[in-house]
Parts: sequence; C-alpha cells; structure tokens
Amino acid sequence: MKALILLTATCMNLTAATWTDHFSFEKIPNPPGIDPQVGAMGSLKDGRIAVAFHRGEVMIYDPSSSSWSLFATGLHEPLGLLVEDDGSILVMQRPELTRLKDTDGDGAADEYQTVFDDFGMSGNYHEFAYGPAKDKDGYLYIVLGVASNGAPIRKEVRGNFLEIGQVDRAGMTEGSDWGKNSKLAGRMYSRVPYRGWVLKLSPDGSKMEPYASGFRSPNGIGFDASGHLLITDNQGDWRPTSPLYDVKKDGFYGHAASLPWTKGWDGRDPLKIGVTELDALQQPAAGYFPQGELANSPTMPQIIPAGAFPDEMAGKTLIGEMNQPNLIRVLDDEVDGTFQTGLVPMFDKSPLGIGNNRMAFGKDGSLYVGKTALSWPGSNGITRIKWDGKPFLSLDRIKALKTGFALRFTEPLDASTIAKLSVKRHTYDYHQAYGSEKKDENNVKVNSANLSSDGKTLTLDLGELKEGYLHKLDMSGLRSKSGGEVFGDKAWYQVVKAPK
Amino acid sequence: MLDQMLVGPSLAEIRTLYDGKPDEFVKWSVAPRRKRPNVIEMPSMVHVGEEGLRAIHEHVMKVSKGVKVREQKEGDPFAGSPPHVARPQVQRIFMPDAGPAAIAIALDGNVSLCWDAGECRLRYVWTGGFIDGHPYWKGNGSSQAKIIGKVRYKESSAPIPLGEPSKFLGYRMEKGLPVLRYRMGPQYVTETFSPLPDGAGFSRKFTLDPPLKDAQPVTFPSDQNITYTSDKGKWSGSTLTLQAADTAEFTVRFSLK
Repeated sequence: MKALILLTATCMNLTAATWTDHFSFEKIPNPPGIDPQVGAMGSLKDGRIAVAFHRGEVMIYDPSSSSWSLFATGLHEPLGLLVEDDGSILVMQRPELTRLKDTDGDGAADEYQTVFDDFGMSGNYHEFAYGPAKDKDGYLYIVLGVASNGAPIRKEVRGNFLEIGQVDRAGMTEGSDWGKNSKLAGRMYSRVPYRGWVLKLSPDGSKMEPYASGFRSPNGIGFDASGHLLITDNQGDWRPTSPLYDVKKDGFYGHAASLPWTKGWDGRDPLKIGVTELDALQQPAAGYFPQGELANSPTMPQIIPAGAFPDEMAGKTLIGEMNQPNLIRVLDDEVDGTFQTGLVPMFDKSPLGIGNNRMAFGKDGSLYVGKTALSWPGSNGITRIKWDGKPFLSLDRIKALKTGFALRFTEPLDASTIAKLSVKRHTYDYHQAYGSEKKDENNVKVNSANLSSDGKTLTLDLGELKEGYLHKLDMSGLRSKSGGEVFGDKAWYQVVKAPK
Repeated sequence: MLDQMLVGPSLAEIRTLYDGKPDEFVKWSVAPRRKRPNVIEMPSMVHVGEEGLRAIHEHVMKVSKGVKVREQKEGDPFAGSPPHVARPQVQRIFMPDAGPAAIAIALDGNVSLCWDAGECRLRYVWTGGFIDGHPYWKGNGSSQAKIIGKVRYKESSAPIPLGEPSKFLGYRMEKGLPVLRYRMGPQYVTETFSPLPDGAGFSRKFTLDPPLKDAQPVTFPSDQNITYTSDKGKWSGSTLTLQAADTAEFTVRFSLK
C-alpha cells in the first residue's frame, strides 16, 4: 500500500505543472445589475477592495461579508484609481482626474473634486486616460492615449486643436469624408494637447509638467518597488509588439503622433519624420511581450506584497494581460544603469482566462483580477486567486552576463535535465506599419550550462548576448530535484545592453 | 467567437466569405481594412505569416462548418441597473451637441440637462426622460449617448459674462443633486439645478464668490418657450439685472410653457 501511495505521488510529480495545484481560482459574485467590466481597482487599508466599473460606478467589495456597497456613480470610463491615506479615492476618468471623498461618513462619496483636467479631448473613443501612479514624494503621473483613425473627432473638442499634417480640422471632424481622410490622419493621431504623453502633476493637481512622450495605448502605469515608473503599451503602429517601458523625464517612447506637443517643436508632421531619426530619438523598451505568445495587450503593473505569493516574488512586479490567458511576472535586471527585464508568464494554462485588466491584493494576500472587454476580446467580473502557501519551482531571477545568463530558481534543479533548456532570439522592425514580424530569429547554441552547488543557479554560456534582441528561454524540459516542472516555463529577456 | 461578431466577423461569417478561397483569406488577413462602420477594425495579422494564415484558414473552415451566424440581441442588458434607474442622477458620458467633457443630470423622472464641464456652462435641458447610454456603453465609447425626450431649452453661452478663463472644479452631491463648482474669471461660482414641482420646469441657484462690485445684467435666451422668474433683481424681457450684492446668491426659475 505504501509503495502504491509513493508511486502515485511520484506520478503526480511527473504530470504537467498546473497552477491549480498551488492556487485557488474563484469568481467572486458581481454586484447585482451592474455591467461588470472592471476599469480600475485598488485596496483599502482595511482589506476591502475598491472597484470602478465601465459605466462609472465605484463600488467597495467587503471580503468578510462577500458584499458590495456603492461609493460613487456616474464617472466617465474610469480606468485607474488610487486609494489615498485618508480613504478618499483618486479616479482617472476620460475627462479628468477626480478625488472622491466621503465627507459625511455615510460610506458614499459626496465630493467629486476635479484634481486635474487641463488636457485635450477630441471626443475620439480611443482617447482613454490612465493612472494615476504616485511617486514617493506624492507627485501623480497620468498617461493619455492617442486617438484612433477608426473614427474622426467630434465637432467640439476640449483644448487647442493642432493644425498639422495632411488633414485640417474640418477634414478630421465627423461628417467629413472620413473613409478618405482617415488614411491621411495616421493610424493613431494626437491633435489635442498631450495625447500620447505622461503628465506629472503636483500632489494637489495645481501644477503640471509634460513628463514623457511617445505613447500609443498605454493601459498600464505604475511604480515598481524600486521606484521605476513602468508603463505598458499595445502592439500597433510604431509598436512592433507590446512593450514595457521604464519611463524617465523628457524621454520619447517611440510612438510618433505625440511629438508635436514637445516644447519648441519645429512644426513638422510626425508622419513625415523618417524612421532613422525617430529611432535615434526613442528610448528603448525595457521588455517586450511577444504578440500571440505572452501578451497582445498588457495592462497594469502591480507590486506583489510580502506573504501573498512565495517569498521570492515579494516586491516583484506583476502585469495583467487582456488577450492571452495569463498574467506576466517581471524579472528585472540592470546592466550599467540600464533597466531591462525578463518577462515570464504566470497562471498560463490555469482557469484565469482572458481580459485581465486590473489587479489588487487583499489583506489576506488574495489577488483580485478585474476583467473587461470594451468590445475587444476580453471578459468581465473578478477572479480571486489565493496561494496555498506551498513552494513550487519557478524562475526567480535572470541576470545578463557577458557571455549569457545566470538563472536563479526557487528550488534545486535536477542536473540531468539542464541540457534540455533551449534559447532562441529575434528582433523586430521599428516602423509606422501595424506591428512587426519577428526578424532574424535564430536558435542560440548553449555552449555550456552549469549548475551551482546548491542546484538553484544555472549559468548559461551562449557565447554572447545580442543587444536589441529578445531572448526566449524555453525551460519546459527542466525539472526540480523532486521532479517538479517549472511554473511559467518560458522567459523572454530583452537585451537592451549586454554587459561588457 | 464562432457565431458572433466581436473584432472582425465571426468564424461562421468568415466561412461564408472565404470558403474555398485561401488566397483571398490571406490577402484579407494581412490588410483587413474597415468593412463596417461603428465596428472595431480588425488589426492586420501580417505577423502570423502566410503559412500560419493558411493553417488558420483551414482550421476556421473546419470548426465553422454548419454553424449559423447568431443574431445579436438588441437593447441594454443593464438598463435596470440600480444606479441607472436612480433619480436624481449624474452621469458623465459623451453627449450630443456638447463638448466631450459633458455631464448628464436627471433632476427627476422628467427633467434632465446637459452641463458642459469643458466650457463650464449649461448646454440644454430636455423633458421626457434621461439618457440611453447603451450606444456608448455597449462598445468602447465610439458612440454618444442618446437623450430620451425632447429638448426644451438651450443656451449658447454662459448667462453671466464673467470672463476667461473658466475652470471646472467638480461638484458636491446634496440630496442626490450636484452643486457644480467652477471658476470663471476671478469668481468662484456654484450652480445648482433643482426640479420645479409637477414637472413645471427647473430652478437654478447661482452663488458668486466674491460677489460682483457693480450691478450685473444676466442674459438668458429670448427665443425659448420659457417664463423666467427670480428671487432677486429686475427683469427686462429675458435679461435679469442684479444689484451687486444680489450676485452673492440668486435663484432663477425656468417655467416651461
């Protein structure tokens, strides 16, 4: 009998690693009658979760009673929220950043204070607004999506309309021959102030500094635990695949449409600037999500709190994703001061599903994942994910070396499996066209793979790392000493800088 | 989706278009273009490559065999949502004949208005219901809300010429109705709309901080089917002249004829 149990246990270890072995996935009940597409989420100090829905309700979920209460209503497409120390909630809605305050203590907001609305709106549907992210000094960062040529602008706009490019205001406005004009407008366009920009706001919103440009559809903004301002963006024009950026002041992040709002701009049409000039101007992505494999439409960065997931993940960043049924872990690295990352799937092949727009951690370490679609592929409602507290094999750290990578795992590896690790790399074309195929994709020969004495660090000699290439590590053949597979068995590391 | 359109046609519809036509399928996938108004354009699938697209074609034809295109259900599935049916109600959404930072306000079950937070002024008032936001909400905001009822009153400029710039400051909810706050020129202004009893129209209370130093004419449009009355000042036609001290707080009633 004992032998049979042992045999069963061994067999179980040899079957595929499944996230459900260590995590529970549970749909929490939606608030009755509410369109359950989640635009924003945040955690309250007392463990309750604030959720903003598509039609503008902000509701509070109390896990202790599994009940919802209404905090605010009537907001315009809220896509970001930040719970403040005094319990008020900052919400980024299409037209403004708003502070919701419950001043009479009845559990619902009575003050809807406009914190900042000094940016343009053309009425185009694709001009979404995201944020805010707060830095350690209390400054707030918001980021504005650009318009899509899927539609023209409305007759009335907010902010100064920019007469630039091949189509004038009348031609850009509804009622014009948009079938013709849309082709000249640019796939995405920025004709009212600061579309495609990150804006830095003073804590009270009274002062604004245009901070960084070059964004397209940046549906993810947040600080990581070491203070990097991380922004994700979506594949499209000037976006070969979805990127992750480490955003710095005055940086240009690749999407050309926003450039004319740069101070002292020379008046040129951004569509007429050559790729070489733009490429020299742009800051490189700190990571790439390969389209169709890891993410097509990455969302918000969220810091993993201590105790929620295995210790090695505490303080690391998790990113959501709309189209692939997974989240993404960010394994950050630094080479000569350059932040660059390996991206690893989490909860792939799990019951999580798609549409993973927003996240918040509860006090008990539960991860709440809020879903949306907004007519694109996605889902709705909230999935709660809870770890069982037991360890499993995963890639914990990836470090670029002069000749390859050092990979640290959470458990000792079975040395007999390390030869099964394979590496490929490719690059992308930076261009105005929508997306890029993989370019120059090649297998990379692993000259040697050496395991450390504790069995947890694997050092790969690949000869050299190639700058500007996305290195894919396939770890599906690796096993822990106890036979476990790697949870999240692929990693994509963008080598911005190779160590010299 | 197998039988329903989401981004691009359903697989069943693709079958009706490209059955036996793999070359045309590849061509379309690489450059899909906009085929229908008000629907999201499918992005190019060029990154998949021709071989992959041919395999996808084969797969689509296989799984969609015998599947019929499902008719989309009309109407708003969340029309009865508690926040939607509450009166009064405030809803920010893209509205017709207003700037993009519009606020729709239902004063009661009958009288509603559109206030423009971009220009800090009332745009129009209608009776007969509130809004149908479903055209916006069913997608990603490429359509405006529709008003339910009939427009009864319109303004083309702010009635008190306080000067530029104007800046919206938000609102405070009192008994379900918003006290709108903005700065116009040097004045801090609040504007509060309330329904008149029996659906007779609406009242509009203004406060100005600081009050004006001189007497001020406040001009409302003369070509509307409205009877104007107020708690302060003197009327001449549709122009109300207020003494300087009266500008601190005054209320105008708009009775619909």
